[in-house]
Amino acid sequence: MAAHDLPAPPLRTVPRGERLLAAYVALVILFLALPVLIVVPLAFSSDVSLTFPPRGVSLRWFANIWARPEFLSAFALSAAVALVATGISMVAGVLAAIAFVRHTFPGRDALLMLFMTPLVFPAIVLAAALALVMTPLGLLRSFWGLALAHVVLTLPYILRTAVATLSEIDRSYQEAAHTLGADRWQAFRHVTLPMLRPGLLAGATFALIISFDEFTVSMFLVGPGVMTLPLEMYNYSEFTLDPTLAAISTVLLALTCLAILIIERLVGLGKQFGG
Amino acid sequence: MSTAVSGSTDVPFASAPPRRIVHRRTFGLGLLLAPGLLILTAGLLWPCLTMLQVSLQDRFPDPTGYTLDHYRAVLTDAYYLRIIGRTFLLAGVVTLLTAVLGFPVAWYLARSSSRRKHLIFLGIIAPLLVSIIVRTLGWTIILGNEGLVNAILRGLGVIDEPLKLMQGFWSVVLGMVHILLPFMILSVAAVVGKIDRSCLEAATVLGADPLRRFLKVALPLSVQGIASGSVIVFCLTVGAFVTPVMLGRGQVSVLAVTIHEQMVVLVDWPTGAAAAMILTSGTLVVLAAYGLFLRRHARR
Repeated sequence: MAAHDLPAPPLRTVPRGERLLAAYVALVILFLALPVLIVVPLAFSSDVSLTFPPRGVSLRWFANIWARPEFLSAFALSAAVALVATGISMVAGVLAAIAFVRHTFPGRDALLMLFMTPLVFPAIVLAAALALVMTPLGLLRSFWGLALAHVVLTLPYILRTAVATLSEIDRSYQEAAHTLGADRWQAFRHVTLPMLRPGLLAGATFALIISFDEFTVSMFLVGPGVMTLPLEMYNYSEFTLDPTLAAISTVLLALTCLAILIIERLVGLGKQFGG
Repeated sequence: MSTAVSGSTDVPFASAPPRRIVHRRTFGLGLLLAPGLLILTAGLLWPCLTMLQVSLQDRFPDPTGYTLDHYRAVLTDAYYLRIIGRTFLLAGVVTLLTAVLGFPVAWYLARSSSRRKHLIFLGIIAPLLVSIIVRTLGWTIILGNEGLVNAILRGLGVIDEPLKLMQGFWSVVLGMVHILLPFMILSVAAVVGKIDRSCLEAATVLGADPLRRFLKVALPLSVQGIASGSVIVFCLTVGAFVTPVMLGRGQVSVLAVTIHEQMVVLVDWPTGAAAAMILTSGTLVVLAAYGLFLRRHARR
């Protein structure tokens, strides 16, 4: 608790417990950042092996990414799957969120729990089960098979943020729109949707990240020619341990930061989670 | 929550709405839920039921009958039982550690001023933006025989031979805690942020020392966040594959790794499916316990 929250602060100095706690939090954040702090400098290493600290500086590992078309095509596939899956999840998630927030019906809580199940369902089981049913359908090692799996995985993230945002929106806005002669679609399009947008963007960002980084489920569904980036990176790490993967991660990190910055400018992403 | 629907202006002031409108409401509700239900049925329920069926088949493909032999095989095999035990032990240890390590951070996060909150929040979710492969790779660089920790210790003259830090179970625990700590912190912070501060002030005014205030007031009020965080962390650990493989160096077999082996390497789908169903039922038990807890908590 901050010092100014006490009823009548006797001292203006920060209590020692408070300072200890702050130091501990800083330590935890350092712990969370540690692997990244190691990986980014390694991307610029001139060594062939992954030793830290690097002995020299070079950009050869970035060049190596371009020399290996499999990384580029894996990146393209991962990005396409993430975008398509997030798009489908957003439509299904927002519709379901409206049902859950604005309607009461028997079994609503149980159904909401079912919708949230993929969040905690063992990834390995879902992976094997999907592979099992997709094989006879010819969906194994296909774009749409991967996309369906990623829709299942991202839907809870979208639904959760959509439900949270929708519950905060006062119904009277919508009723006012109706009173002013808007039909249901117009009220949704011009009143509810704009208010939903920040929450939706936050949910979509999370869904994109989850999909792009997904490993276990994709592992059962990919194959030669249909390979996502995390799988391609894992395969590479099985045989070669050089800083190429560090370089890829650095590029991805830069791209993510850029995207987050843009979204942050547009809607204030931090507020959506931190509030 | 009111029972009104989005199209509430359609409903006249009559005390009992005409049946026609009730039908339209149900229809609208069905339309709203249809895409989600379709996705869940095609992508979760149907595959899992198929898996259940395969786990009961005597052969795959082309079964001639149903049997419980695969379950018996898994549950009586000492090797498998050790792996099941290790998987749930790993999940338990990781859950406990993330809860203990994460709680103070969540507390601090929820009670900070908005500017600082923003920064801490970024520090906590930023690692989620980095590929899990890379984060795990980072730990192998830090902990490996030629890694950072050994280099520092050797440079300081503390050790001559490299310490074997990539020794299996505990390096996997470290990697999992690192990956899942943000999930725990965010779950707890969501609940802690809603605690009425006057409760804590009342405890102070009534003479409770900080430890008592924590144990008797703060902890009980945060327990729901700890519970939901624990469920997420436990379930994600139980099903984890990458971290045990990469940080365990093949020495830490957990269920996910064994299931993958059984199905993909040995192409024995029924036994793998039986192991998968056992893993799933473990998860469902945890979820059911959580559901019970929530219900009891709500009643109080």
